[in-house]
Amino acid sequence: MADDTRELRDRLSIIESMIAEGQRTTESWGSTFVLWGLAYYVAIAWSRWGHTVWAWPVTISIAAVLTIVLAFSKPGGHPRTTLGRAIGSIWIALGISMFLLFFAAGLTGRLTDRHLFLAVMSAILGMANGASALILRWKVQLGCAAVWWAAAIATCFGSDAQSIIVFLVAIFLCQIVFGFYGMIANTQGRKRQAPLHA
Amino acid sequence: MPDLPELDPVVHGRLRLALLSLLSGVEEAEFTWLRARTQATDGNLGAQLLKLEQAGYVAVEKKFVLRKPQTLYRITENGRQALTNYIRALRKLLGSGVDE
Repeated sequence: MADDTRELRDRLSIIESMIAEGQRTTESWGSTFVLWGLAYYVAIAWSRWGHTVWAWPVTISIAAVLTIVLAFSKPGGHPRTTLGRAIGSIWIALGISMFLLFFAAGLTGRLTDRHLFLAVMSAILGMANGASALILRWKVQLGCAAVWWAAAIATCFGSDAQSIIVFLVAIFLCQIVFGFYGMIANTQGRKRQAPLHA
Repeated sequence: MPDLPELDPVVHGRLRLALLSLLSGVEEAEFTWLRARTQATDGNLGAQLLKLEQAGYVAVEKKFVLRKPQTLYRITENGRQALTNYIRALRKLLGSGVDE
């Protein structure tokens, strides 16, 4: 009797863990956050010391291509979920908006006000992280959104050097650290899995 | 003594139950994703998916993406209903001690 009950409870826990597994989407994108964090660092360094209008458009384009390659190279394929599509839409729309805005602004030489550029970029990243966090009810990502929003305000008030430092810190926390956090959380989740047999 | 519900034998298998549960949370999923999540062997996974397909609980779509074959599975309405009934029966069997 006790064995039967344990067996039935085991079935319930399989159902719960598998449904949760199917809903896990954002954690496996940790590497993409890290990639984009590094891309922002490269673009900032290149535009500061390279003095070229191409720094941002070229870096962002390469990062976009690498993101697509990363997405297709992940083993095991991706399940299509409504949640995944909702989160994916936010980031795709963000990517297109940023690319078009900064590509056009960069080419026409209108990226002269660094404060405004960093503030707009921080605000857009805050919006995307905030929307994603509210959909996923993920407090850690909501924290990232708050950091971006704070950076958007701070870059308007600080000096040139202070604005850059604020932006670099926000990238480090919300892209690099958050990305690694996602990668570690994903790895730990995988380790907990045990093989299932018929 | 109240009547105890019968558990659907197609759903009851551990791997088939895991597959139906996985598919209930997604719109559709590739064979490779299901294999990675359940860590089952190709042969076992294929056999269990076939049983679910024959029972009308999952639907299969085969296509080529970038010249690579891709097999997609999705849970059917019958499959979703069978899983719901199974969970209800399971909770009834376990009694009121199990949380909703």
